[in-house]
Amino acid sequence: MIVPLTTTKIGEQVRVSCLNCTSEDTCRLQELGCVEGATGTVVSNQKNIILQVGECRLAITHPLAMNILVEPVSKKKSSNL
Amino acid sequence: MSNQTINAQKEILRQPSTIALVGNPNTGKSTIFNALTGLRQKIANYPGITVERKMGTTIINGVLHKIIDLPGAYSLNHKKADERITYETLIGSYDHEEKPDLLLMVVDASNLERNLFLASQVMDLQIPMLMVLTMSDIADERGIRIQSQQLSNVWGVPVISINARSKKCDVQIKQALFEQGVATPKPFKWNPSKLLRQAVDRLDREWLSEHTQLPERARPIEALRLLAEGSLEDSFYQYSEEEKAKKLIEELQNTLEAQGENPTAVEVVQRYSFIGDSSEGSVTKEQRDEQTWTDRLDNVLTHRVAGPVIFVLVLLVMFQSIFSWATPFMDMIDMLFIEFGAFVGSSLPAGLLNSLLVDGIIAGFGGVVIFLPQIIFLFLFIYFLEGSGYMARAAFVMDGFMTKVGLHGRSVVPLMSGFACAIPGIMATRTIENWRDRLITIMILPFMACSARLPVYAVMISAFVPDKRIIGFLTLQGLVFFGLYLFGIVMAVGSAAVMKRIFPTGKPTPFLMELPSYKWPNISSVVIQSLERGKIFVTEAGKIIVAISIILWVLASFPTYEPTANDLADMDANRQISEQMLSTLQLNQSYAGTFGQWIEPAIEPLGFDWKIGIGLLTSFAAREVMVGTLNTIYSIEETEEQLGLIERLRGEIDPETGLPKYTLATALSLMIFFAIAMQCMSTLAIVKRETNSWKWPLIMFGYMTVLAYFSAWITYEWANTFLLG
Repeated sequence: MIVPLTTTKIGEQVRVSCLNCTSEDTCRLQELGCVEGATGTVVSNQKNIILQVGECRLAITHPLAMNILVEPVSKKKSSNL
Repeated sequence: MSNQTINAQKEILRQPSTIALVGNPNTGKSTIFNALTGLRQKIANYPGITVERKMGTTIINGVLHKIIDLPGAYSLNHKKADERITYETLIGSYDHEEKPDLLLMVVDASNLERNLFLASQVMDLQIPMLMVLTMSDIADERGIRIQSQQLSNVWGVPVISINARSKKCDVQIKQALFEQGVATPKPFKWNPSKLLRQAVDRLDREWLSEHTQLPERARPIEALRLLAEGSLEDSFYQYSEEEKAKKLIEELQNTLEAQGENPTAVEVVQRYSFIGDSSEGSVTKEQRDEQTWTDRLDNVLTHRVAGPVIFVLVLLVMFQSIFSWATPFMDMIDMLFIEFGAFVGSSLPAGLLNSLLVDGIIAGFGGVVIFLPQIIFLFLFIYFLEGSGYMARAAFVMDGFMTKVGLHGRSVVPLMSGFACAIPGIMATRTIENWRDRLITIMILPFMACSARLPVYAVMISAFVPDKRIIGFLTLQGLVFFGLYLFGIVMAVGSAAVMKRIFPTGKPTPFLMELPSYKWPNISSVVIQSLERGKIFVTEAGKIIVAISIILWVLASFPTYEPTANDLADMDANRQISEQMLSTLQLNQSYAGTFGQWIEPAIEPLGFDWKIGIGLLTSFAAREVMVGTLNTIYSIEETEEQLGLIERLRGEIDPETGLPKYTLATALSLMIFFAIAMQCMSTLAIVKRETNSWKWPLIMFGYMTVLAYFSAWITYEWANTFLLG
């Protein structure tokens, strides 16, 4: 099931499936480690999102988070430095 | 990946060399720079842009080396001006920066993968380097263990681990440079796929090598960037035969796509993939379920309700402290300059030189230095909060509100600083990355009611607003005072909304920001950076301010006044006021006085007369000068300064009507004028410094003066009709 990042819950583990944003935003996300296939944890979801990808904690504005499509994963599957 | 022997070079440091610090933002790069250079650093803008160039010197084993702190970057794909400088400096094609001989590649150990992404790009440029791992204590807290030797074997460069917050981090780095030396990394350590490598080679061979001036080692990085972006839209280079390049890039992208690779992401994915695989041998991570300090703090500090409340409390403490801590220092500086002026005045024979030195240069310079305590205290707070990781959270929690009014989360702190003084606020806008957001913040910042407006508000409110109790402890005077502060905020928000539409800088940048881990900042680095800000203000803005002070002195001192026999007789009769009278008469017939009378018809609709006109001109030096000027004009003895002035303002009679000349309407109009008008040359000087052009300070002065004029006019008419009518 692929959902926008905005629909996830705090503590939920997700895998980034698709960055559906402009190429510039895609590049910025990728440079920060938010690449397709990376797993992360939702730290905060209060309209704007805080997503922990690896050791990098990203603050993402709501409109941008709407365009980040993720797949919820069970905790066991997550493995990332 | 294969282990390899590192070809360390140690001789390189026997000669004076240029060492550049490269790394992601928030990695402790600036802390290392401060530790290595101490106060032997120089900060200036790169020519033509507002990115800061930080340069300093350090001595390693008796040899003096130059250190450049390159702007923090997440990649070499140079979309932003600061990333471009880092990129161009590294490839040695930036005219305004020296090509570094060796690099200190600063890598955050607690966030290794993300940092190694940039490091792997930089390594492709084959510059001798030492990799410096910072934040090892945070990595420890998270259960991350890094084998420096393993990492060194993988990447082929020496690696050391330091604690950037330790006082001795510079010693550790110098020792490592001396003992381990540096090594030139090999390109393409990240094992790009054969397909990608072929595409890069073809783009290099068939186009970049022939049609660009790029050095050979920089061409693969440029080829990768062009393959990812698929366009040549780049303001940096003038390419020839662009059509040929476009065709070639399109063909190569199609080939990649046909093989199942996404051209936009292929480089990033392959680099991250190699970094992840190679970390297996050198990095171990304990699975810990317990929350870290950062998690616990973020639960509260980024909370939807608690976050903004805590932020406002932090600001309150900050500004209250700035006010109370800076005031004694400001009083001291004020006193020192008055004493010094008096000393110089009495040591030199009376005359023009005496007056120029005392009233022009010393008073002008005193007017500059007096802002120093506020600037230094504000920056101590800002650098402390920035270094602790809180500033990024503050921007995050305020972003929603600030976006609504056309600004950015990061605009909050500079804007709030404006309540103390616009100057440190404008200097603090450097934390805003987006140029458009930064410019709008600078342009509206002077609306925030700074402390220099206080004396003018105090005199006008005391003189003309009745001291009537409204509810409880609230008086009408207090409410008007509060209203003026609120008015400043409304004007700022309104102007931001208008400017957002005017500045055509494309689509807004969505808020995407790294939230660094919380940590205790390195205090000496915080102090050094704050002192540097103070130095920049005094040396750069100071020059302009002293020059304008001298001009204002000329306007107020020439043509010189020659007392008539009658005047002298009057003065003999009353020796006490003679000196004050002389300066009054001098001011009245000076260029400034003539100017006041000349503009009287223009300011009459606002309820101002020529005396206020002189005040408007002289208060350009600093707003609070208005009160001093009115004092001089009204020949008030200094001991009863305020009360005397208030009485005189109230008692001023219009000779034509026989009614009081200044009314509540005049006072409101003048206060509104002061709330809006750009009556502060120090602010204009710092805007010039921060925007690197006279264009923006002139626009600022123009639009704020026009807005002030019409607002004061409307206020005067409204007050006359509805309050006094």
